[in-house]
Amino acid sequence: MISTGPLGTLTQEASISTETTVSEVAVQLEGITKRFPGVVANRDISLTVQKGHIHAIVGENGAGKSTLMKILYGMQRPDEGEIRVNGSPVTFHTPGDAISAGIGMVHQHFMLADNLTVLENVILGSEPRKGGLALDFAAARKKIKDISDAYGLGIDPDVLVEDIGVGIRQRVEILKVLYRGARILILDEPTAVLVPHEVDELFENLHGLVREGITIIFISHHLDEVLKVADAITVIRRGTTVAEVSPEGVTARQLAELMVGSELPSPETRESTVTDVVALQVTGLTIGADGERRVLDDVTLTIHKGEVLGIAGVEGNGQAELVEAIMGIRPSTGTITLAGEEITSWTTLRRREAGIGYIPEDRHRHGLLLEAPLWENRILGHQSEKVNVKGWWINRKGARADTERIVEQYDVRTPGIDVDAAALSGGNQQKLIVGREMSGEPKLLIAAHPTRGVDVGAQAAIWDHLRTARAAGLAVLLISADLDELIGLSDWLKVIHRGAVVAEFDPATVTPEQLGSAMTGAGEEA
Amino acid sequence: MTSSFTDRLLGRVKLSGWVSLAAPILAILFAGIVTSIVLAITGNPVFDTLTTMVDYGSQPRSLVLILNNATTYYLSALAVALGFRMNLFNIGVDGQYRLAALVAAAVGGAVTLPAPFHPILIILVSMLVGAAWAGIAGVLKATRGVSEVISTIMLNTIATGLGAYLLAEWAVPVAGSNNIGTPPIAASGQVPGLAMVPGSSLKVFGLVFLAVAVGIGFHVLLNKTRFGFDLRATGRSEQAAVASGVNVKRMVVYAMLISGGMAGLIGMPQLLGASYSYSLDFQPGLGFTGIAIALLGRNNPVGIAFGALLWAFLDVSANILGLHKISPEIVTIMQGVIVLSVVIAYELAHRYRGVAEQKRVSRELAGAASTPQKEGASA
Amino acid sequence: MLRNRFGKVVAGAAAGAMLLAAAACGGGDTTEGAPSAAPSGGASAPAASGVKVGLAYDIGGRGDQSFNDSAAAGLDKAVAELGVEINELEAGNGEAESAKEERLRLLASGGFNPVIAVGFAYSASVAKVAAEFPDTKFAIVDDEANKLPNVSNLVFAEEQGSFLVGAAAALKSTKGSIGFVGGVEVPLIKKFQAGYEAGAKAVKPDIKIQAKYLTQPPDFTGFGDPAKGKTAAEGMFDAGADVVYQAAGGSGAGVFEAAKAAGGMAIGVDSDQAKTADPTVADVIITSMLKKVDVAVFDFIKSFTTNSVQAGSKVYDLAAGGVDYSTTGGKVDDIKAQLDEYKAKISSGEITVPKE
Repeated sequence: MISTGPLGTLTQEASISTETTVSEVAVQLEGITKRFPGVVANRDISLTVQKGHIHAIVGENGAGKSTLMKILYGMQRPDEGEIRVNGSPVTFHTPGDAISAGIGMVHQHFMLADNLTVLENVILGSEPRKGGLALDFAAARKKIKDISDAYGLGIDPDVLVEDIGVGIRQRVEILKVLYRGARILILDEPTAVLVPHEVDELFENLHGLVREGITIIFISHHLDEVLKVADAITVIRRGTTVAEVSPEGVTARQLAELMVGSELPSPETRESTVTDVVALQVTGLTIGADGERRVLDDVTLTIHKGEVLGIAGVEGNGQAELVEAIMGIRPSTGTITLAGEEITSWTTLRRREAGIGYIPEDRHRHGLLLEAPLWENRILGHQSEKVNVKGWWINRKGARADTERIVEQYDVRTPGIDVDAAALSGGNQQKLIVGREMSGEPKLLIAAHPTRGVDVGAQAAIWDHLRTARAAGLAVLLISADLDELIGLSDWLKVIHRGAVVAEFDPATVTPEQLGSAMTGAGEEA
Repeated sequence: MTSSFTDRLLGRVKLSGWVSLAAPILAILFAGIVTSIVLAITGNPVFDTLTTMVDYGSQPRSLVLILNNATTYYLSALAVALGFRMNLFNIGVDGQYRLAALVAAAVGGAVTLPAPFHPILIILVSMLVGAAWAGIAGVLKATRGVSEVISTIMLNTIATGLGAYLLAEWAVPVAGSNNIGTPPIAASGQVPGLAMVPGSSLKVFGLVFLAVAVGIGFHVLLNKTRFGFDLRATGRSEQAAVASGVNVKRMVVYAMLISGGMAGLIGMPQLLGASYSYSLDFQPGLGFTGIAIALLGRNNPVGIAFGALLWAFLDVSANILGLHKISPEIVTIMQGVIVLSVVIAYELAHRYRGVAEQKRVSRELAGAASTPQKEGASA
Repeated sequence: MLRNRFGKVVAGAAAGAMLLAAAACGGGDTTEGAPSAAPSGGASAPAASGVKVGLAYDIGGRGDQSFNDSAAAGLDKAVAELGVEINELEAGNGEAESAKEERLRLLASGGFNPVIAVGFAYSASVAKVAAEFPDTKFAIVDDEANKLPNVSNLVFAEEQGSFLVGAAAALKSTKGSIGFVGGVEVPLIKKFQAGYEAGAKAVKPDIKIQAKYLTQPPDFTGFGDPAKGKTAAEGMFDAGADVVYQAAGGSGAGVFEAAKAAGGMAIGVDSDQAKTADPTVADVIITSMLKKVDVAVFDFIKSFTTNSVQAGSKVYDLAAGGVDYSTTGGKVDDIKAQLDEYKAKISSGEITVPKE
């Protein structure tokens, strides 16, 4: 379901578990303070989570959400303050303590072994024994079935994890903690990896869980999702709780402003800067042999200077392949022309040199050398750009100076350019990448999910940069799963489904419903 | 942190600050303790054994032997390290240097050239053969996706067989000897030793300077050139390198060629400085020693230099143990424990440093944004 | 980056400092075991007591149940009968040439005289170190490439002994098919093969002979890998052989196992292996080619104690009793007459055994 409009126009949905009138407190944190040498990660945090509620905790990256959750899950100990679970004070030394107190955590990145079945994954580490040594699979299977049925998770214990989708894997993770007796679940960014319909399924499951008396602490960036699913919301900023709000009385925009503590810019692009000059022309781009299912099927598109072309689609429908084909990373058939010059047979390096900037979808794997300092990351992908090299030699001085410039201009928050990229927060990493890809006067910028997983402040900054560059004549290919971002930034939208372009829309007039039906392929039959 | 254990093991990520200093010291201390325990259990006097080793190992003659061994080890470890820095496991350095030294010895013994050109020719031939042999694995990986670990191990075995055949073909028999070797290289092709250590008549390999030059070249190539950047980037994240336009397949071939060419140098100090002929007892196994030393030195030319010296010191000082009825294998145990504990120590140091750096960043950022404004907590 | 590079330098420096600090503190006290660089003066007329014999083994050392053990036996006999003091050092696998030199040098400079090097691998090292210590007597087993006034070269006519066991194999074989397993394909072992084949063909010119070497140099594991020996011998028995001769050091144990399993016969090497091999397989060993390194070592030490060391080659052949065949177990008693006839012919020079 894609039911959220642009941020400002979001409408509230009533939360379903408001009928829980008997307010019993599941978790109570009081005056939690956690200091790391020289920095206070959590300062006097107080939080009350009602039993049977979905309690959302929102905040920018680095606001202290993770530390707080680590404290609650026994991975770290608070310097001050008290934790009470079901009314009684507790002290956790390890996650094991938290688990025995009935607290379970579902991490953002799944911790499942692909080559084991669901059953094996669930019992891994707490295997039921039969007669001392033998594993009691039958008992485990029954228990998993019971849990799955009780909470409506619909999990088959005997399939291999590698054969199931992301959404089901997440439910397996949830089942895993329930299996260990958890009554309070912490979900860390559970929707980050899900496509829209999976998000809806997850929310249904969550409601199923709370109906059965489970308490859920839900951490997210996605404010519209939070508003949709939460019974109560706590906003954290700079290590402390700044607001305790009810989803009925707040809009996403207000919530975002509470998080960043300032007025929030919107992604909308006002005036058109589209010119007649074609920057990128892609014709008949196809990946996949005849007779097989084509990953990319005869895609044709044109981007002009000063234009942002948005590609909408459910993830896994060929967006990544389209990007890689244009970058020359993945072999394809068809023709690609950049500013009038055919680049189809060019190497990735030559394409980059010709003026294609690339913000990859997965910045950790494709965009950065995490264990290298920022200034070396400045060189990555721009190994022939003038500031970085002198002939065969790396121009250390030039690269460093230009990194300083990017840090300055793009507001990359870092103590210096010698720290490793891994030490920065996601938003600052992304700002560095954006700055890098914007340098050297690119003709075309390919931005794949440019604001995924970054905090609201960085998101606004990145949108700003994209808009400025567009106004200066940059052509942008924007791929995003965030419909607000797509509609707000794009001059034109194409919808990709099963590798083919199935629909086109003017973002000024399109409705999320139209986009949604096109993305799921419904538009084809219509 | 997101780097894999292998990355850290192979030094593709760096350590900094005092932790990188503390790690190897603690590891060597730990290895010393383990060795002492082993000595004590086997009923040998711990303190006497260690002082005997150190005493003997610090004599002028031993210092020469240490320098000579270390020269060879250093070249071997550098050849291995170059591959490691790119995530290429060139296990075939052993076969590469043996085959290269054999062919080079045969060529060197067959021709006579004026002095400076003769050894240069031999060295070039050796590098070419080493590069070509390693290049096979590189091409197989680039074109067919064959794991270089498998192919280089197989190439080692093939090199052994091919080497035995070629040696039999090329060898000149020496009356009364059960050994066979290539014709000796004439004096014009020999590199004279240097009487660098006072108090010993033994000479240091003249090619010790070649090893130093290769070490410097290694550093410059990796850290100062575009090629080196591409190589390191590929080692740190192949996907990021591909996205940044690095032609990874070509890099694989180049890296194997360079690694093999460096492997070709391993046998040169001994061949041109001492034995002048490749014979049955030409020292094997240096390629594997190189792997251990590369790990010890975290694939860094300076670290490897100390690793090679330490290794050579242990090897040489093992000579004295037999005289005292102590099994020289104690040194093998020590070497094993050192490698293992250094790897573990680096891993611990890395974890510590990762956490410390993130803390430092957030601290400095918090410091920069000091005087936090009191913001209203209202809804 | 500067900081990081510094870190690396410091890290390396730390390791080095350890080394130097260790070296420095060790240098202070003079441990009695540390040899002085100066060679000990030439003792002119050595008496039996007070003689210090230094012996350097090849790879494998004492306990290899073969070549080195044979040398050790001679050494032990010298201790028992001549009352000499000894010290033994052992070669490491894959060690540098300089380590061999240093081993001999340590023995010579430590006052050991005579110094015995076991194995041709010491050839170059003996030549070098013997020149450095002209007053020390050296002996080298299996090598006569370098002749120096203070070096005795103790060599064996392995082909002659192998001829006899080759003849024995041909006489004992009922299938007319025999085998040879060599440890490593080096010239020395090829001598064994050449003699064996000549002996077999002398008995039966059309005999079928299979030959296999376990490894190629520089891979010397063929001398110490029973599994390889077993596989090779199994192949030969499967292909119809019923007698297999092994010249493969420690790998020979596998050959005996294969013979036991196949119901075949085996021939041992170097020492009387019907006595030394694992008792469960000893009964398959019909004879062994004896290479009496022990005799050579003992003779050399004895000549030193009587001040009658002769430099240069001393060939231990059939005539000198340096090689022979064994009769333990009585399995070749029936053909002893024929074998002794060959023995006499070789000793007298009537038959010349090829070396390759």
